[in-house]
Amino acid sequence: MKVISAAFAIAFGLLVLAGYFIPALAPIQAVLIKWAGILLAVSALIGVFNLVIVHGEKIRSREKSNAYSTLLLISLLLTFVFGLALGPGHPIMQGVVNGVILPVEASLMAILSVTLLYAAIRLLRRRVDVMSVVFLLTVLLIVALSLPFAGIPLLGDVLRPWITQVWAMGGARGILIGVALGALTTGLRVLLAMDRPYGGK
Amino acid sequence: MLISVDLITGALSFLFTVLIFSYLLGDNPLFRIGSYIFVGVTAGYVAAVAMWQVVYPQLLYPLVYGSMVDRILVFFPLLLTGFLFMKISPRTSYLGTPAMAYVAGISAAVTVGGAVLGTIFPQTLATIDIFDLARANSPFASLVSGVIILVSLVGTLAYFHFGARVTSDGTLRRFVVIELLSWVGRISIAITLGVLFAGVLLASLTAFIERIASWSIFFSSF
Repeated sequence: MKVISAAFAIAFGLLVLAGYFIPALAPIQAVLIKWAGILLAVSALIGVFNLVIVHGEKIRSREKSNAYSTLLLISLLLTFVFGLALGPGHPIMQGVVNGVILPVEASLMAILSVTLLYAAIRLLRRRVDVMSVVFLLTVLLIVALSLPFAGIPLLGDVLRPWITQVWAMGGARGILIGVALGALTTGLRVLLAMDRPYGGK
Repeated sequence: MLISVDLITGALSFLFTVLIFSYLLGDNPLFRIGSYIFVGVTAGYVAAVAMWQVVYPQLLYPLVYGSMVDRILVFFPLLLTGFLFMKISPRTSYLGTPAMAYVAGISAAVTVGGAVLGTIFPQTLATIDIFDLARANSPFASLVSGVIILVSLVGTLAYFHFGARVTSDGTLRRFVVIELLSWVGRISIAITLGVLFAGVLLASLTAFIERIASWSIFFSSF
């Protein structure tokens, strides 16, 4: 099974990679990627099924937090059954998205502002070096320059773009290229079966 | 009396915002109720979307109503789907490995292609393009910007270069030019992360204001 798995990863991976550089292979690449999309959707379903099993087990064994697990299972099953029967685009399902999912995501994002401010203050107390001082000064400057300075156009219109589009651009490009080089190396290691994240090593 | 969907949505939105905001007082049962229901609803919704938008139209529909070619084309993903379901039980889990290997191989290839064609080439070309002074409105300003961007880009990459040589006293030391560029890279990374941090902070403050405003809109609807 290990050999079959590695052969699957290498053969199909190299075919898809070749599709980027050989136009004749592009249709095959599209079909293979579509199949991977189907498998990812099925993986998501299996993940949800696993969530049901884990929380079902918590309820069955009467663990301490089983009341929360009950809430989770009821909300999951109701949403899934209604979603399956009505479709995700139905007004009731959109009501669920607008009434539960979006408000919770926005509220978590809002809480993040408090957490970030706290982290910034802690950074100044814990570590005072050139990097953290430059970092915090940049944060202060960008936040201050984002405020509407009606009478001082030079600050918001010139200084802010100069920092974000020149000074930060080089660093951002360096980080992006570094991440891409890392991703490239990791991808090649999987394609050469040096790393087997699917198991079998 | 009929209650409108908008009113129920507004009430739910208000309720869940209060439940999640209660975390500002520390971890508490209200926050847990909100987060567990959120996880349940999101998981159920994701599963429904996966069924409606991927599994049914791309796997089940061609199998039942498709032509012979469609049925042949759907055979392979159907087979791998069967193998994938073997992952549910620890006893048959090993049978699901080829399906996972297929996804890993395709993902790795897409990652490699995306990294080369989507990031490394475009970002490098964009940096080179800044020095095309013939197309610039202000050649001097463009040249200065280009030099700053190039030096900070090279500095950032140098910061992550960890190659060093052993000196006569046995300590490890980086090449002087790399060390200098690395120092520039540190400053550059600090500025970049500062800009990103400020962006996230402003976005989260906007979300905070939007949530408070949603309460005001909800109560003013009565």
